[in-house]
Amino acid sequence: MIKYLFINLILTSFLLTGCAGVNIGGVGLGSVARIAEKTYQATTPLSDEEEYYVGRAVAARILSSYPLLEDKELTEYVNLVGQTVAIHSDEPFTYGGYHFGVLDSNEMNAFACPGGMIFITKGMISSATNEDELASVLAHEVAHINNRDGASSIQKARLTEVATLISTEAAKRYTPAELSQLVKLFEGSVDDVFKTVVVNGYSKSQEYSADKDALNYLSRAGYDPQALITFLERLIAQEQGLGGGLMKTHPAMIERLENVAENLPSKKGDEALVNLRSKRFEKAIK
Amino acid sequence: MSTRLFFISFIFVITTSVSISAQTVSVITKKNSIRESCRFFAPVKTTVHYSDLLEVISQEGDWFQVKFKEIQGCIHKSAVEEKSISLSKIVSSGSQSASDDEVAIAGKGFNPQVESAYKRDNPGLNFQAVNRIENYNVSDSALKNFIQSGRLISSD
Repeated sequence: MIKYLFINLILTSFLLTGCAGVNIGGVGLGSVARIAEKTYQATTPLSDEEEYYVGRAVAARILSSYPLLEDKELTEYVNLVGQTVAIHSDEPFTYGGYHFGVLDSNEMNAFACPGGMIFITKGMISSATNEDELASVLAHEVAHINNRDGASSIQKARLTEVATLISTEAAKRYTPAELSQLVKLFEGSVDDVFKTVVVNGYSKSQEYSADKDALNYLSRAGYDPQALITFLERLIAQEQGLGGGLMKTHPAMIERLENVAENLPSKKGDEALVNLRSKRFEKAIK
Repeated sequence: MSTRLFFISFIFVITTSVSISAQTVSVITKKNSIRESCRFFAPVKTTVHYSDLLEVISQEGDWFQVKFKEIQGCIHKSAVEEKSISLSKIVSSGSQSASDDEVAIAGKGFNPQVESAYKRDNPGLNFQAVNRIENYNVSDSALKNFIQSGRLISSD
């Protein structure tokens, strides 16, 4: 028995003190770990940190086309509504956190950049009639972030190339050649995401899923999930025939509306509370 | 008999090491809080940063009860990820920070160096506005008041 305890001790100390420096057949276990890391990197998407940097660049591109509305009170209000929804989402924390900006545009649109930065246009806010409707738009965008819909549009070949490049033994800072290659990959990734988020829109299944998740977040937060339906109905009425903005990036709105109606939670919101919140909404958007 | 004893010993070693390693998580947000209790607005006991390693004591729903530098408290599960091989490093180094290798891996790929170079190549992009939005933070107390005054649910 003592013999076995001794073997246990040796095995345990081997496992607890780590594998670095131990060699098997001339291959250090540190190298084995690195190979495993390379395999991991090559088969998984971007890390949260990398997604954050892609999201910042996508946001910078959006802000080069749409000016940011410098309205402190409205920005604060939109952030409070957005954060309320975000803490009830499936991923309340992201690498850089959730941040909400209002774009000075009458177009009706909203964008979710990977990592947690969300934009909503002044036009979109004006289309909402109360806080619960505004929350429904922000919840939909938070769902796109939770589901990594923007980041998933990055071509797989680019990610594989990034994984190969970073699996070299190089230190954290890159050589000029490595950096140049990475910047090209970064630029390509930002283009991929920008095209999806701003130009072409998400796939139908991503939109359906984001709507379904948004209903859950609204319900968990205490907002009326029905607000998503009333808001979509109004958008359809306003945008039908115009063909711009949201209708371009969120196609087949009528089908979306049907999907939302099918997934609406049975518990209805309290109208008195919707009206209570409407007062601060009206004050904020003045 | 001897084979059986060896087998039992082996299982003991494996389960011990697996259970120890499974008790460590790594912070995956830039900054986060360890709170007194497992609720969003509970008082903050200490602040943790990206790649800090936390020892898990237990799980309560979406929260982990953790220990960091002898401070015990709660952190939300979305702020951390499991780090199954790192406790051995803590044991051997006595530290609760990731090793240089881990930090190097964490900082690889698209990082601040890549963003700086991208900015230089694209001077027309509005990163100043991005920073302004990022620097705008809602405090815990403001959010809590907002939720309460709107008769919403504070999540916990």
